[in-house]
Amino acid sequence: MSSKNKSGKTGLIFFPAFDWAISPTHPEREERLLYTRDQIFEEGLMDLPSIEEYKPRLAEKKDIARVHFCVPDVESQVTEAHLIAAGSTLTLADALEKGEIRNGFALVRPPGHHSMRVVHGNRGFCNINNMAIMVEYLRTKYGHKKIAVIDTDVHHGDGTQEIFWHDPDVLCISFHQDGHTLYPGSGFVNEMGGPQALARTLNIPLPPGTTDEGIHYVLDNLIMPVLDEFKPDLILNSAGQDNHYTDPLANMRVSANGYARLNEKLAPDLCVLEGGYAVETALPYVNTGIIQAMAGLDYSHVREPDFVPGRFVQSEEMKREIAHTVSQVQKIWEQRDDLVEEALEGLGDFYRRKRRVFYDTDMINENQEEVVRLCPDCAGYMTINTSAQRGYGILNSAFCVTIPRGACSSCRDDAKEEYAEHLDDRRIGYVLMQDKDKDKFKFYNNMTRTEKGY
Amino acid sequence: MLIGIDVGGTTTDAVVVDGNAVVKTAYVPTDHDNLLNCMLMALDELVRGIDTKKIERVVLSTTLITNMIAEGKTDPVALVLIPGPGTNPKDYALGESIVLDGAIDFRGKEIDALREPQIKEAASKIRAQGKSRVAVVGKFCQRNHSHELKAGEILASALPGSRIELGHRVSGQLNFPRRAATTLLTAATKDRYAQFAADMARALKERRISAPVYILKADGGTLPLDKSVEMPVETIFSGPAASIMGVMALTEPSQTSVVVDIGGTTTDLALILSGKPLLSAKGARVGSLLTHVRAFAVKSVAIGGDSAVTVNGGSLAVGPHRDGSPLCMGGRGPTPTDALRVLGMSKIGDAVLAERAMQMVADMLGCNSKQAAQKVVDAVVDKIVLEVNEMFQEWEQEPAYRIWEIMSKEAISAQNVVGVGGGAPPLVPLVAARLGATAVVPKYAPVANAIGAAVARPTLTLNLHIDTEKGEYNVAEEGISGRVTDRKMTPDDAERMARRLLAERAARLGISEYASEAEVTYSEVFNMIRGWSTAGRLLDVRMEIPAGLLASWGRC
Repeated sequence: MSSKNKSGKTGLIFFPAFDWAISPTHPEREERLLYTRDQIFEEGLMDLPSIEEYKPRLAEKKDIARVHFCVPDVESQVTEAHLIAAGSTLTLADALEKGEIRNGFALVRPPGHHSMRVVHGNRGFCNINNMAIMVEYLRTKYGHKKIAVIDTDVHHGDGTQEIFWHDPDVLCISFHQDGHTLYPGSGFVNEMGGPQALARTLNIPLPPGTTDEGIHYVLDNLIMPVLDEFKPDLILNSAGQDNHYTDPLANMRVSANGYARLNEKLAPDLCVLEGGYAVETALPYVNTGIIQAMAGLDYSHVREPDFVPGRFVQSEEMKREIAHTVSQVQKIWEQRDDLVEEALEGLGDFYRRKRRVFYDTDMINENQEEVVRLCPDCAGYMTINTSAQRGYGILNSAFCVTIPRGACSSCRDDAKEEYAEHLDDRRIGYVLMQDKDKDKFKFYNNMTRTEKGY
Repeated sequence: MLIGIDVGGTTTDAVVVDGNAVVKTAYVPTDHDNLLNCMLMALDELVRGIDTKKIERVVLSTTLITNMIAEGKTDPVALVLIPGPGTNPKDYALGESIVLDGAIDFRGKEIDALREPQIKEAASKIRAQGKSRVAVVGKFCQRNHSHELKAGEILASALPGSRIELGHRVSGQLNFPRRAATTLLTAATKDRYAQFAADMARALKERRISAPVYILKADGGTLPLDKSVEMPVETIFSGPAASIMGVMALTEPSQTSVVVDIGGTTTDLALILSGKPLLSAKGARVGSLLTHVRAFAVKSVAIGGDSAVTVNGGSLAVGPHRDGSPLCMGGRGPTPTDALRVLGMSKIGDAVLAERAMQMVADMLGCNSKQAAQKVVDAVVDKIVLEVNEMFQEWEQEPAYRIWEIMSKEAISAQNVVGVGGGAPPLVPLVAARLGATAVVPKYAPVANAIGAAVARPTLTLNLHIDTEKGEYNVAEEGISGRVTDRKMTPDDAERMARRLLAERAARLGISEYASEAEVTYSEVFNMIRGWSTAGRLLDVRMEIPAGLLASWGRC
């Protein structure tokens, strides 16, 4: 259900975490939303009858455990700032479901979209994935089935992609600056999701220098038609703002107006702020534009001081490149059912993959082996064997088990057995289990032989 | 001896306070068409037989500005906006305005220049409209006054004899539409208010009262009458402020209390949290306009002693409308006042008529008159309790932008329910019982407002903004800006500077003796990082002399 047809207010949570930073000079620091605060407060946006401001709340540890295998536990991976940023998204999710608002924007930091299912530390300025936490909360508490997450940050939303990799009911679309040229170096067209969920992950890498025209071409020709066919219950926007032409960490040419128009078109039910580090030259204007677009207000008066319409023009070559990528992804989407069928034919009872994950902020190298049961009766249980080393420091390892929503009894029994088998295995530090059906989460410490749960 | 005069909806009350004793009280009916006269009548009655030389201070709490705005008796004002990029000015509910080019950003940097010919055009338009008062307000002009000053200058020379009001002088806080509204109202009321102040000063002189005269503001503070002409809008809603200050004066300090002022058709609710009256998070709403005027958080609930009691489809409703007086006082229909009379909880009105009123309700509900009366009283108490709880909840749910604010805010509950106003005595114990609090109806509850006015001390706010990268500081309300040289200025340095500037402001406003009471109510510092190094600091300090009571008032 798109917010286009609903009436009511736009919910807003502004949580700039003015007392939290990764480090004093880090881009993800106290100052990041200061000028955004000045601009939106000076505009008086919170006073407008179409906007309702909410107070953030702390997410519960269980809300985090529903998504993440935090190693060794949730407490050691999150600070209060993370719980508040994640909790803000849940407050807006509740307000939306209660019908208090027609859409909402969690203008919060720290961001989350680079955080994956397993969390050993901070990667790409993210510890926990606010968006994924909101998605799982919405599904568990309100029974939503199909959800679309559109990641409009300049960086590939690799964390969100990884969390929903095997889930055919969560469509993850990310457009971003080509991974050859930017962190995290992924998000290519051929990353399409696990065998049961192929083409429910769609990636649109764009050349550096892409303008408003380029991202709107992607929206009009790919994202909007795909959404029409997927028919999600909810459309969610991982709203990074670093495609802006002044962003210091990326190289795109999108304007505040381009971002506002994007949100008007996409009409997301809920938006969650991700990155964006041009703290003075972009964020105040982009955020104002997004809020106005969501609230159905005129955003045409939002303009960066140095912006003149027509300032950025894409070359013909760039246009062709974008059109080519879009047509590739269109094909993948059209063939989605065949792709899944073919993939499953060639596989046995289990799908395995090995991956390495690098945590740039915390300098952690992680090795994972993931195994998913390809179950004819349910989504199949999953196990992840993970070990991670921080620099030359200690090695943390864990064995993680997920029982999916709607698990069949055989998957449930096997998953429980896997969990039990790894308890007290001194080669592994921790054993974790997510029972998404029962909404119960366990953390077992093999050294101290103690279990705790959320 | 201190004198407090409070203009209420029906009566104007006056009181003489000496030390911590109420020496004398006086009441006159309020004449809404001549507030000056009715205040003087109350004063004359009050000081009869009193040596006016012994009067140390006179404080007035008047509905002058409130009435002026409510009745549309304000002067026409041309609103000139310099909005820059952002919201379409049409989305602000500010009414008709003239929009100028030019823009300042959040750092106080000029983005777009003013265009002089356009300002001159604006002047001709204003002249054609026949308006002689102009409010000029720019977005972020509190961070850089130059556009407002320049536009104001050009308009002033093009419109001789006109009165120009500049936004940054009215408020230094963020929120452009509220600043525009406050500036507009200031320009619309200033002349008439100045006339009132002059008349009042003359009248007091004629009465040989030479004590300083103060006016009570919406934030419970006083300001010398002659200085208040600069900021007339701040005197709005002084009635509820007087009543809250009165409760502060008449109850134990440092406690958490709900102030319940039960009148004929409305009940006003306010909170005193650990001895500090709760200010509304943003400024006051004046009619349809949201302003920057600091005011206590007062919630008006449409229920009172005269509210009409109706039964619809077997369910009982009290209010929100009034249908004349209570039946027991010669009115037409049943009211809570009738119910209280039937239950023996008050002696107001005629018992037989009250009984008849409740019998009407009882017939519709299918019960006896006592039961009906009980139901009416329960409904009133239910409504008030509900609204009080909501007020606490709203306070808890006020947005917060820092981790510590979210982590440290604990749910609190009322220790006392303090009743003022005519309807309070019988109902307050019932409300208090439901909230698990102690009921307090002070001895001087009927003149609490006048006492509050008499013993309220001055309040003052100062907003200091420092940008060490630009090497500038400014205090918008004072129109001051200057240079700072220390790039690594600390919050302590900034607070010291604020204290000094506040002392100067206090001196200018004639309230120096209270400057030492000023507290830092807000202080923030941000390092500006450009590249990977610190380019400077942004510091903001708000310093306030908070609402409080004169030291001479020992609480009863």
